[in-house]
Amino acid sequence: MICPLEAKRNEVLLEYSSRKLDAGELRLLEDHLETCPACRDFVQAQRAVWDALDVWEPAPVSADFDSRLYRRIERQPVSWFDRMMRPFQPFGLRHAIPIAVSAAVILTAGLLVQRAPAPRPQPQHDTAQMEVLQPEQVVLALDEMEALSQLSSPVRPNKADSKM
Amino acid sequence: MEQRVNRSVGAGVTDLDPDAELMLRVRDGDGASFGVLLDKHRLPVVHFLYRMIQNHGVAEELAQEVFLRVYRSRATYEPTAKFTTWLFRIATHLALNSLRDGKHERMQERLDENTGDMPVRQLADVRPTVEQSMVRQARLEEVRRAVAALPEKQRAAVLMHKYREMEYTQIAKVLDCSESAVKSLLFRAYETLRARLAHMA
Repeated sequence: MICPLEAKRNEVLLEYSSRKLDAGELRLLEDHLETCPACRDFVQAQRAVWDALDVWEPAPVSADFDSRLYRRIERQPVSWFDRMMRPFQPFGLRHAIPIAVSAAVILTAGLLVQRAPAPRPQPQHDTAQMEVLQPEQVVLALDEMEALSQLSSPVRPNKADSKM
Repeated sequence: MEQRVNRSVGAGVTDLDPDAELMLRVRDGDGASFGVLLDKHRLPVVHFLYRMIQNHGVAEELAQEVFLRVYRSRATYEPTAKFTTWLFRIATHLALNSLRDGKHERMQERLDENTGDMPVRQLADVRPTVEQSMVRQARLEEVRRAVAALPEKQRAAVLMHKYREMEYTQIAKVLDCSESAVKSLLFRAYETLRARLAHMA
């Protein structure tokens, strides 16, 4: 095994000191420790630190910790989202959202149906036809006017006829 | 993009992490599950904060804030990591803010006092002599001072590594840094502690 201190793998020594090294590396390191005084010193000092830290036991938590916390939770302002979701809470939030969305869709659809406008009267076909035929009518009228003007003009006697 | 990846990992996390499952139930409106989480994590969170701040009153106040934030965040909770990673991330964030806000000065004052809020664990049937008790108290005081002297991030890393037995990857996630940065923090922290406490062997 390459010396962990030389290989900058101090975590191996830290894990060994805290007795968390896996079996494979443990055997290799123990073999190495027999020949490496630097690593041995490291492990000895680290174990002393580990044991010293074990001495430090904090005081127990106050008996009223939970009640104080729940009082603070109760004082929390309720958001509009929570208020809206409250009726759905027995179903759980995962089910509440699809239920709420479905309800909203049904409600919206109902409102749309109720407010649907009355059917508009169909436009007169004649009017449309008039609009479509108008240019043709103009052409026809012009043709008729031209024909009438030709009919109403006086018939001039032909020169040849007059000679006769 | 990372959020999306985390969401897809989320299902895997909840498969392994029963606390995340409980938190999802809290999200769905199950108040009893919050009580279970509180029961399980109250002591570790208070002790972590106490060892960070070294003031029992402030530690409990911060722990309350931690659980209040957990409760407040229930609607938006996504199991993107282990529950304890998220919990200790909140706790560490609050502890570091508290220390930066100057409460550490109070902590130092408290260290200078004769601290009565930190009993050394004693077994009822094995009563230590006065001398043993004094030696033990002195050792404890030395440990506390050595830990308090560590830079804040090193202290947090040591406390999570030693007392919560967290893996480097989890500590990295809590402290929002790389795994190699955690190894470096721990190495420097233990180096300082070895220099101060090795004689206690």
